[in-house]
Amino acid sequence: MSSSSVTNPSVADETLRAQIFQRLHPRVYLERFIAEKIRPDGRTFDEWRNVSVNVGSISTADGSALVRMGGTTIVCGVKAEIAEPELDRPEQGFLVPNIDLPAICSPKFKPGPPTEEAQVLSDRLNEALVASDALSLSSLCIHPGKAVWTLYVDCTCINYDGNAFDAALLAMLGALRNTTLPKATYNEETGRTTCSRKTRSQVQLTRKFASMSFGVLDTSHVLSDLTAFEEPLMDVTLTVIVDDRGELISTTESGGAISEDVLLQCINRAKERALQLKD
Amino acid sequence: MAQSANDRRRINGPEESFPPIFDDDGEDIKLKMQRSRAPGDIRPIFLQPGLISQANGSAYIETEKTKIACAVYGPRQSKTTTYSEKGRLNVEVKFAPFSCTRRRAPMRDAEDRSIGVAIHQAIVSSIRLELFPKSTIDVFITIIENDGIEGCIASGSLAASTALADAGIEMLGLVASCSAAIVGDDIQLDPSEAEARASSGTVILACMPALDSITSIWQSGQVSADLSLKVILSD
Repeated sequence: MSSSSVTNPSVADETLRAQIFQRLHPRVYLERFIAEKIRPDGRTFDEWRNVSVNVGSISTADGSALVRMGGTTIVCGVKAEIAEPELDRPEQGFLVPNIDLPAICSPKFKPGPPTEEAQVLSDRLNEALVASDALSLSSLCIHPGKAVWTLYVDCTCINYDGNAFDAALLAMLGALRNTTLPKATYNEETGRTTCSRKTRSQVQLTRKFASMSFGVLDTSHVLSDLTAFEEPLMDVTLTVIVDDRGELISTTESGGAISEDVLLQCINRAKERALQLKD
Repeated sequence: MAQSANDRRRINGPEESFPPIFDDDGEDIKLKMQRSRAPGDIRPIFLQPGLISQANGSAYIETEKTKIACAVYGPRQSKTTTYSEKGRLNVEVKFAPFSCTRRRAPMRDAEDRSIGVAIHQAIVSSIRLELFPKSTIDVFITIIENDGIEGCIASGSLAASTALADAGIEMLGLVASCSAAIVGDDIQLDPSEAEARASSGTVILACMPALDSITSIWQSGQVSADLSLKVILSD
């Protein structure tokens, strides 16, 4: 910044003015880009940011994944604990997904209890994992009616640059796929469950899937993979979850009304993207 | 018990759950205590500033198993309405739920606060707070993986100081910090969790190498005054 201001003061001046304009009139700033068929970060409307997934880097967790989606960084760790099952579901374990958006990840979050946004995200993630039936809860049974595994799937956002839902779901699935459980035996005489340190087995996921989020501006412009700047300016946001065979798992839409064409366009883009992610 | 049962702001699991009990517990703890480094060697450090794009400054530090992310926001306007001539430094430490051997409930407890205070002490005298009247500098630290509280405080201070420099906040010097454990008559630098547990005392030293001055010393456990000074010198 400082070197450019010395050599070419007008360019630095222009960038500063653009930054001020972006802060004061975000909507107009975005609309000018949209009119030129491009987005502020240089992507086209249907372009996704680069995704990288790094699994198993945290040794204190039973399974872990770190997902980067453009600037958004989310770490997810799975901790397995043993609990007594519910009386009416003696063979089912528990899956407890939560996401935390701490003050570290963005200036818009303050320290303290989970924000409304984090609560909604946790609930949507829980619903996605339950709706997809990716993990059969009965596979978490150690001894019916006595002991089952509880998987605490905790996500922490380190850097928030939009589209946390897609990144968090990817991190949760990556971490679950990476999770191994020690072989546990329930002793009926003592009523204790002990685990062996030597043999561990993988948690079995029944299907592979991913979520894709979109934003709609002015009823016709559909943007994929929103950044933190674009997210609050959208009229409608849409999330489509599809599995690797192109089957729909869930679609959620929030905000104003959209036409059927837009919805279909999103679903098709999601299917395309799901096939890309599979490779 | 892993989580308070009536926290309606989170997805709750069963009322009670316990970490797994292993059949060979106690046997291999002795094995873990063996140290592969020389007493005066520290663990390799990976330190990278500027990974968190939303923050004014940030740093990520990794010393073998310990992984810590740190972000600096500010200087920004203080929330309190009382006028203060000096800036305020606010350090908050958070453990990720999966960062320790036992799962941590996502509630703040005394441990993260005490680490926060220790890091605050280590870096506060290096910052020129008199230049920021009426403002607050927020330092947020997330411990992603924890391998010894002493190591967390030492690398946390280092990361916080780096992040402050990355944010362009005026300081008198960078803070470097190191921990040491006393095992028998030996002084082991930068102990891991198992090593610190086996020790009779620990010392954490933070200093500004550029000014050749010490910013904070934390000593705990049973250590004689002479030995403690020796540890400080070897730090």
